[in-house]
Amino acid sequence: MRVPFEWLGELTGIEASVDDVANRLTNAGFEVGAIHRAGEHWDRVVVGEVVRIDPHPNADRLNLPTVNTGSEEVQVVCGAWNFNVGDRIAFAPTGARLWDPYADEPVLKELKPSRIRGVVSRGMLCSTKELGISDDHEGILVLEPDAPLGRPLAEALGGEVLEFELKANRPDALSVLGIAREAAALYGTQVRSPIPDARPSEDGSGPPVNLQINDPALCARYSAALVRNVRVGESPAWLRDRLEKADVRPISTIVDATNYVMLELGQPLHAFDWDTVRGGFIGVRTARSGERLVTLDGQDRELTPETLCIVDAEGPVALAGVMGGLETEVTDKTSTVLLESATFDPVNIRRTAHRLSLRSEASRRFEKGLPPELTVLALRRCVQLIEEIGAGQGEYLSADAYPAPSDPAPVSLQFDRIERLMGVAYDRAEVRQALNALAFAVEEDGDDLRVSPPFWRRDVTAPADVIEEVARLVGYERIPDTLPTGQVMDLAPGEIDERDDEARDVMAGLGFVECVTYALTSEARMARLVPPDLLDASPDAPLGDADAWAAARESAMNDAGRAVADRLLPLHREPLRLRNPLSMDEYALRLTGLGAMLETLRANRRHVDRDLLLFDYQPVFLARDGDLPEEPNFLTAVIGERISADRWNETRAVGLPFLHGVLDELLTRSGVPTVDISHAELQHPTFAAGVAASATHQGCLLAAYGEVNAEVAAAFDLDERAWALLVDMPAVRAASAGPPAFTAWSDYPSALRDLAIVVDAEVTQAEVYETIQRAGRPLLQSARLFDEYRGEQVPAGKRSLAYALSYAAPDRTLTDKQADRAHNRVVRALQHRLGVELRA
Amino acid sequence: MRERLDALLSAARAELAAVSDDAALEQWRMTHLGRRSELTGMLRSVGSLPREERRDAGQAANAARRDLEEAFEARQMTLRRGAEGAQVDVTMPGYPVRLGSLHPLTRTLREIRRVLAPLGFRAVSGPEVEWDRYNFELLNIPADHPARDMWDTFHIDDKARPGELLLRTHTSPVQARVMEQVRPPVRVIVPGKVYRYEDRDASHEAEFMQVEGLAIDKHITMADLRGTLTYFVRAMFGPDRELRIRASYFPFTEPSAEAEMSCHVCAGDGCRVCGGTGWIEILGSGMVHPKVLADVGYDPDVYQGFAFGMGVERIAMLKYGVTDIRSFYRNDLRFLRQLR
Repeated sequence: MRVPFEWLGELTGIEASVDDVANRLTNAGFEVGAIHRAGEHWDRVVVGEVVRIDPHPNADRLNLPTVNTGSEEVQVVCGAWNFNVGDRIAFAPTGARLWDPYADEPVLKELKPSRIRGVVSRGMLCSTKELGISDDHEGILVLEPDAPLGRPLAEALGGEVLEFELKANRPDALSVLGIAREAAALYGTQVRSPIPDARPSEDGSGPPVNLQINDPALCARYSAALVRNVRVGESPAWLRDRLEKADVRPISTIVDATNYVMLELGQPLHAFDWDTVRGGFIGVRTARSGERLVTLDGQDRELTPETLCIVDAEGPVALAGVMGGLETEVTDKTSTVLLESATFDPVNIRRTAHRLSLRSEASRRFEKGLPPELTVLALRRCVQLIEEIGAGQGEYLSADAYPAPSDPAPVSLQFDRIERLMGVAYDRAEVRQALNALAFAVEEDGDDLRVSPPFWRRDVTAPADVIEEVARLVGYERIPDTLPTGQVMDLAPGEIDERDDEARDVMAGLGFVECVTYALTSEARMARLVPPDLLDASPDAPLGDADAWAAARESAMNDAGRAVADRLLPLHREPLRLRNPLSMDEYALRLTGLGAMLETLRANRRHVDRDLLLFDYQPVFLARDGDLPEEPNFLTAVIGERISADRWNETRAVGLPFLHGVLDELLTRSGVPTVDISHAELQHPTFAAGVAASATHQGCLLAAYGEVNAEVAAAFDLDERAWALLVDMPAVRAASAGPPAFTAWSDYPSALRDLAIVVDAEVTQAEVYETIQRAGRPLLQSARLFDEYRGEQVPAGKRSLAYALSYAAPDRTLTDKQADRAHNRVVRALQHRLGVELRA
Repeated sequence: MRERLDALLSAARAELAAVSDDAALEQWRMTHLGRRSELTGMLRSVGSLPREERRDAGQAANAARRDLEEAFEARQMTLRRGAEGAQVDVTMPGYPVRLGSLHPLTRTLREIRRVLAPLGFRAVSGPEVEWDRYNFELLNIPADHPARDMWDTFHIDDKARPGELLLRTHTSPVQARVMEQVRPPVRVIVPGKVYRYEDRDASHEAEFMQVEGLAIDKHITMADLRGTLTYFVRAMFGPDRELRIRASYFPFTEPSAEAEMSCHVCAGDGCRVCGGTGWIEILGSGMVHPKVLADVGYDPDVYQGFAFGMGVERIAMLKYGVTDIRSFYRNDLRFLRQLR
């Protein structure tokens, strides 16, 4: 809300600077977001008087006013016609700076001498837009007749405007008077209320207005005042000036007066052309089915039964608190006006305004909850104002319905409660003074305080509210710095697992850069994770349907693949969708982080050619019926094709064993011994055939890793091979054996034996390794694979594997013979069980 | 014998001086110190000398051998040093080391946790998809309350329970979740992602991180809140930071306070970072509203406490001098590697 500073000054008598007032109000909770200084740039603009208007010799649409600037007479070329000889106007000589009315962005331009259609112009008559007062560029600004000729315009018209960023809890502060009350309390001045006293005999009971409130819960009070001999026309300049500075566009006397009172007192008013209201009747009720209303904006609206309406004897004439009807609008033919000043139910108004997307200055005030006491005060002020500007004569109150009057309830609290909450002492006089300054009545009874808020402070209902009033009026500077003492809390529910930190550290240690990607995506974006023809997808169902997935599970996945699809890549599941997305690229919550990470890989690939090792450790969202979704934190790593080797410019290709090694380290550091992990070939359409694996622990899936299917990589616009590692970290936690346990090693020297074997290609390394381990017991300490070979040196369908075996006993040095015996057992077991041959 | 030894020594030394590579050096060693060398032959023949000559001859030959061995080692050292000295340029760049990095938001969150842990704050998390009840109602923001306008909300399209599921707009719902489950004392911080239905620009994100703090006990005061915040901004931004708080409004706190710290860039003189004011808005806070306490079953006449909430990106932007909030979610390696 914008409040002209001089208006605030008029109601408070405060003489402090605008910056000081802004600062103190901000500290007290009335945040001034900006101070607009109209006239800041008007250094050369003066009040001039038009002394002559000549026609332009070469252009019918232009004229040549001559302006008395107080010191000389200057002729200019002008395109506006809304002024006469004798009018005072804002005159900008060449060299003045004005806002460019045609620029898209606000920009100041210096006025240059110019020749327009052959006539020299030595200045300009300014519009409000050029002066930066409003957006109005229709005609020039005509000043009050008594504007001081020749004086800088800033003196006549300038002034600061405070822009408040107001909070939702203070409907009273949506008014100049409300801000003035706060400012006066802070500065210790008296508020100069603009509200006139009631006039006798105008008690709201007189004919001819017949009022009826059907549902007092939706309309606590309805007051009305009749104004006769209405003159609809332009409001005086001072009124228009204040409205413009408050960012309200002046329209005509009656409307301007109602808007002015809304700004000043916070009570929205509505003016009906009384002669168009049928039956002399005004009712307040919800709409009946089938009722319609053409609103002020020209729209013919069908009214829903929950819409609160103002009706006359025959039907709706306005949407209560939201918008008036076109038929009863005040026009320049109007002679009698009925001013409405009412208290509507905040929730009903808020819903209606939202439903119709008609949020206005009025509805914003109603939905915060206005005090019923305000209706009659606003009417008095408005009628007085209308009379003052010569726009009609009226009654301060012609009719008033207030079925169930209520006062704000007093709040009781013990004096020491203030110190107990704030941690600092306030003395009694200070408390009383602060509350009195804000118009709260205070009764003291020993240690008990009974505080009665003024009618406009219905937000104060509890001791904490009263304490806040005291604290903020005295000032938060009073509050000292202490640290909380007392007991430490027990273990908290939902405590963050420090192992999450450790997993991130391990990944970073392994060369991965952590990314934080968005949770919001779309089904089309996720659908790029499977080859396009797999699901027979359509634009409506980019992730296919249940049948397509059932078929894909059969045709394109093995058991490992189906397990991965069930958990780590559950693309067949319905994602949670937003009702109000920002865009169609982000309306769904992600089922996997892989899509976002491949997008990230692609974006970085544009400027990086190696060492693209990225990971993301944020939740995915798996819907559950009737409950919040499951939000497991899955770790998603992606890797580009090449990583640096140990030279400045050498790189090597990433392969499956690289990912396997990363996973081993992550699992080991998470407390899952790698010997307990089984790796199986993975067939899943997101991964390349034959270059992917899944890792399980006692049958439970922990991870999937491998090369990204080339079609998928292409769908992400990747120009090289990409690799992915997906880890179900909650499952890893469940498999964790806890902190590593220490095992003593043998202090006696080890006997080393190399073993090179040729084995059928179908036999897995895991089988060979397990056979070695089992047969080598108890002397075998370790078996490390150091080579794999396929090619000319071994027969087709076979491969060679080479291991370095280490034998030792815990209590003695092994003799060569003992070591040989153990090693031969290993060799025989391999020959016997797996049919391997020793390689020469 | 003595003469032969002297001649042999001087010849060997002269030859050694001419040796310029490892191969020649090895050849020299074979020739002069090897099993078939003249010196070895002389040492062997000592035994056949007359008894009275043996001792001197043995000593002389052994001394000669030691001399040559030392000369050999010295030459070998010189050769090696020469070889390396010619090849090593210590200004050559190191090989690329591939150590990864944590996201700046992760690091900022950890720092916040680390700073607040000694005050007894435990870090907890809660769901990002949340019930309206926790995100709003239990925080004293009933349906149709105008305060709801303070949070532009993404709603989940849920046919079974329309209007009840949403993306949490702040980490505050975890306050209610924690308090529902434990009795005071409570002292937690809640880091996590939150969502706002808001167009993105340099200072607005639709998805961003918050940290919430909550302390509830019998005697936790607003002064404790102020002290905690002062401690926090000094630990995060340096011991010279000043804190100021001013009145504000949040539905779930009463009194409420907005906290600002003196600018860490210009120390309060006014600069671009603080918009010339010398002060930087850093977080919102207040004393937990009695209604919020009562709604989770705490007696507001017995228990009281404070809550605060801050944007993690904002803290990180101030710490690292980042000017566009969206940078944190673009995951550009040029950004992430700079801030590693």
